[in-house]
Amino acid sequence: MQTTVFEQVNETVYHETLDNGLQVFLVPKQGFSKTYAVFTTRYGSIDSHFKTRSGEEINVPDGIAHFLEHKMFEKKDRDVMHEFSKNGASCNAFTSFNRTAYLFSCTDKLDDNLNLLLDYVQEPYFTDASVEKEKGIIGQEITMYDDNPDWKVYMNLLKAMYQKYPINIEIAGTIETISHITKEYLYQCYETFYHPANMLLLVVGSFEPEAIMKLIRENQTKKEFPPAPQITRVFPEEPAAPAQEKIEAFLTVGLPKCMIGIKEKETGLTKEALLRRDLTTKLVLDIAFGTSSAIYERLYESELITDSFDFDYSSEQDYAYTIIGGDTPDPDRLVATIKAEIAQLKQKGISQEEFERAKRKKIGHFLRSLNSVEFIANQFTSFKFNGNDLFSVVPTLESITREEAETRLQEHFLEEQMAVSIVRSASPQE
Amino acid sequence: MKAQTSEIAFQSSQMNGMNVHILPTAKFKTTTIVTMIEQALSEEHVTKTALLANVMKRASARFPETKLLRAHLDFLYGAIFDVDVMKKGERQILQIYMEVPNEKYLSKEDALLEQAIQFVGDMLVRPYVQNNAFAEKYVTQEKEALRKRIESLIDDKMKYANQRVTEEMCKGEPFSLLVQGRVQDLPAITGQELYRYFQEITTTNPINMFVVGDVEPQTVADAIRTHIPLARKAAGELQLGGATKQVAEEKEVVDRLDVNQAKLNIGCRTQVTYKDDDYPALLLYNGILGGFPHSKLFVNVREKESLAYYAVSRLESHKGIMMIMSGIDVGKYKRAVEIIKEQLEQMRAGNISEEELTQTRATLSNQFRELLDSARGMIDFTYNGVISGRKRKLDELLAGIEQAGIEDIKRVANKVAIDTIYLLRDKKGEA
Repeated sequence: MQTTVFEQVNETVYHETLDNGLQVFLVPKQGFSKTYAVFTTRYGSIDSHFKTRSGEEINVPDGIAHFLEHKMFEKKDRDVMHEFSKNGASCNAFTSFNRTAYLFSCTDKLDDNLNLLLDYVQEPYFTDASVEKEKGIIGQEITMYDDNPDWKVYMNLLKAMYQKYPINIEIAGTIETISHITKEYLYQCYETFYHPANMLLLVVGSFEPEAIMKLIRENQTKKEFPPAPQITRVFPEEPAAPAQEKIEAFLTVGLPKCMIGIKEKETGLTKEALLRRDLTTKLVLDIAFGTSSAIYERLYESELITDSFDFDYSSEQDYAYTIIGGDTPDPDRLVATIKAEIAQLKQKGISQEEFERAKRKKIGHFLRSLNSVEFIANQFTSFKFNGNDLFSVVPTLESITREEAETRLQEHFLEEQMAVSIVRSASPQE
Repeated sequence: MKAQTSEIAFQSSQMNGMNVHILPTAKFKTTTIVTMIEQALSEEHVTKTALLANVMKRASARFPETKLLRAHLDFLYGAIFDVDVMKKGERQILQIYMEVPNEKYLSKEDALLEQAIQFVGDMLVRPYVQNNAFAEKYVTQEKEALRKRIESLIDDKMKYANQRVTEEMCKGEPFSLLVQGRVQDLPAITGQELYRYFQEITTTNPINMFVVGDVEPQTVADAIRTHIPLARKAAGELQLGGATKQVAEEKEVVDRLDVNQAKLNIGCRTQVTYKDDDYPALLLYNGILGGFPHSKLFVNVREKESLAYYAVSRLESHKGIMMIMSGIDVGKYKRAVEIIKEQLEQMRAGNISEEELTQTRATLSNQFRELLDSARGMIDFTYNGVISGRKRKLDELLAGIEQAGIEDIKRVANKVAIDTIYLLRDKKGEA
């Protein structure tokens, strides 16, 4: 077991790669009552075109990773959620574009709960009847998202930005696509993506690292796994330009919702380079649009935005984008104003004072989020999957210079990379 | 390995006319300071309180421009600051939230704790005022912002349905009010009136301040005494609406909007509130019925019949209301109501398995123990004790959950009555 100490944030990480390829990370938190464990596979909604174990190249129905996540909870002789409940643990799972995570939190019986987590995720059980039954439940989940204007404006923005890359597809699929899901498909996906070598287990909270590592090791040694498959995912080539300038949709809302996306041209960054670009872009965004910025003040005082206004940058190896927006009485004017403000800011540049302030703010916010074992649990894994350490955010932030931020401002905020998504009410009288 | 329950042990005392509660703990990397000003929910005050929260956070005497104020917060290592309102039973709480990193984790030395307390003092004692009024500019802008916020309730159909059923169920009771207030009250509120109201509530309404972090209580107390010199009068008794009300008859309300999924909300009166001896039994009742994935609603509405993605029940413990919520296909409305009513009946009859009881005890206890890992959670738990007048220790509540049995849950179940069945549905099809 390796130990890494992150002195500045006073955290220690224990790590081991087991014989079957599973990566295990443990982060003990002194004085905490609860423990949070997350078992994650590098498999999400975008992985719908790949080679199976037998080498056959297949396309599976959209929404299958999420469907599979739902079906992992059902077993022949027991219900997983009830087992966790008996131990007082609360369990959950989620599917994103590129991963599926199974998790629980508990203040008691950690050993039992950890074994339970490892066992249920490593024991698939799908039947025709239970697959059919789940279509009703997920159908209602999809319908719920269809009525959610925040989700709609976000998904439509991804559709506007991405021409081919499958983050433009709904994570849960549609009622039509999930109707094609069968238990055979589920097993094929499971066998391809749920090998321990494609997975990561993280435990954060109140425990003794040696004892917990031993428990995990023993649990895994008892099970047999085939050799790790070579995973071949097939992705379409994504052009640099956005798919379309604007998408509009109609749902009942109090005020229209409007988001501007900026699609990153360059992809393929990994590890430190990816983290550095990510943090630098977030700093620039905060300098430009944060609540203490001149742009925010002008937008708010002209009543073009409300306190729902927000922005973020998401980056992975294959895709990265900025999102800016919120509720607005006048989407078209908001878009025009933001574009003009960006052009002005690029002329004016970033001052040392603004830069230092944004950096302090980011460091403070990061320290704050380390109070939350949920935050650590959820972020740690996505950092690891990209070859980075969550706890090196502070030193990386500290090393970023104003000049780097300036360069990022000039190269990322390009008008030709922008796309817009709007959701408004069909008729305002309603 | 069982995590030890350590009590939520705030040290409480009076300072400058406020109740101050300090909890020193090395667990967190930040210090959290939450100030709660209590007001009775009422048509007269609800919109003013909500607007005041918005106007307060725009400026202070020291930072008359919002941009300067926000820049100062960034400078305090991204201090988290907000002023907001929330509803607790028949109370409207104006809450000032402040959180700063602990100096220990920063390479540069800064007296962040004292600066944070000074900032809270700016809000409470040194607002930005011109001619005995809040600045017209901020009042006007924030009226507009609040109006938009109220009107945006409709964006989230789950919240919208929840507010609509509350309005229908509690007609004539203050609890029916939306905590952000009413659009029709906005035009009449002036900067002068709002400032007078600010002075009134900061002088006479009950104020509780909570500080959680790796702090020296004496340092905190000194800073509060210095930076928050409130001129307080004896806090008067708030005139609160009654918590409980008997159900005369079951109502049914249907609203129509352009939606794909129908929202079914069933509002029930439980006749039990936070301060009652039956509160732990009520927690178990709600947990067994619809609080968890092992609960009757989840198992029967979702797992057995695939009618819904979510089917849950939630308590409003100060008002004694339980809300059952589900998202369904409108064609399954009658079936869903039928199954839900069956579950309520099962609870009344005490048809609760040993497993359901054990699971619910375990998961509820876990939820309460998890509060210990969150400053916010510990503050809310303690504040619930303060305002209800029943200060339970965490251990006492956990013991109550262990001790309450089927008979106690049955007793609670027989007090629970459906008040209003509410359906938010599409515009197609027949009524």
